[in-house]
Amino acid sequence: MTDARADQYACTESVLDITPDAAVVSNLGVASYVLASVSDSERARNFYQWGSMGVTTAVGLGLAISTDEPVTVLDGDGSLLMSLGTLTTVARYDPDNLTVVVWANDVYGTTGGQSLQASQTDFAGIAENSGLDAVTVRNTEAFADAYRDATESASVTVIVCHVDPVDPDARPPFDFPYIARRARDSLSTDTM
Amino acid sequence: MTWSKDAAEALADAGVDLIAYLPDSKMDALIDEVVDDSRFETVLVSREEEAIGVLVGAWVGGDRGALLCQSSGLANTFNAIGSLSVPARVPFLGAVTRRGNLGEFNIAQVPAGYNMDKLLDDVGVRNSVVTDSEDLRETVALAGETAFSTQSPYVVLLEQTVTGRKSEATE
Repeated sequence: MTDARADQYACTESVLDITPDAAVVSNLGVASYVLASVSDSERARNFYQWGSMGVTTAVGLGLAISTDEPVTVLDGDGSLLMSLGTLTTVARYDPDNLTVVVWANDVYGTTGGQSLQASQTDFAGIAENSGLDAVTVRNTEAFADAYRDATESASVTVIVCHVDPVDPDARPPFDFPYIARRARDSLSTDTM
Repeated sequence: MTWSKDAAEALADAGVDLIAYLPDSKMDALIDEVVDDSRFETVLVSREEEAIGVLVGAWVGGDRGALLCQSSGLANTFNAIGSLSVPARVPFLGAVTRRGNLGEFNIAQVPAGYNMDKLLDDVGVRNSVVTDSEDLRETVALAGETAFSTQSPYVVLLEQTVTGRKSEATE
């Protein structure tokens, strides 16, 4: 095991560069704050979560089933740890337009940076044993390559990306119904 | 018609596209109806909280979602309902077999089951209890209509007088 870690900001920028049209479902807290940091504030297809820790990947699954557009989940390791069973559900339906990124920073970053105490846990291994393709990456270039491959794959890939903890200043809109409605409108009215 | 056929028609009347569910002995009849019905996409979840996420995603993708589960499972959804469905104003229609009331033999079903209507009220989710199968189809269809037009979740609790009793208390 190496200590190398990717930069979550640069990796999130890669997501937007590689899949500019993707609907992005971001976990509450740090994943959403980083997405807000690197996105145009008008980016309608960012479905930021303000709550429901542990449910982010499930939101992405429902969205991927209901739209033909690419869907990317930006989950956190703490959130995924809360709902590992969701990986089995994702494997059962395996929508070809879904990619799941797990930012593995080993801490509960939004609540003060407390340790997950999960260093023995192999999240990619859990995803694979749930029936999914999975890969672990530890630097920004490897992430971009893995993400490009994942979005071109007909199966769901879980990318576990080890990152340093960060504490962004940016915030998504506080108007939660607006976030959901804006994302919905952008997916239903776009003609591209 | 059986209660389960009535309920499936009501879900279709309400324009439901996607149904997320977890099995229950009483709910099986309705689940069997909907999984074989081409009007619905169905998603079996591993925990009911997941279903709320799936239904929220489906709404953002342009679909109308429904949840089928038992009242104990609905208790698993409360953080997702309270911190996603309600504050983001994302609707779903719930049809939930309610345990814990008349005829209940299992004390473990009582605290969340018997009190589920009050728990839903407290988290801000409107709800109705159906005790007579005559009322089922209209109640579920109207619940769907108000859920999707007001963009807020609505749950219909189905009593064992509708779905049939689980009779295990022998003495």
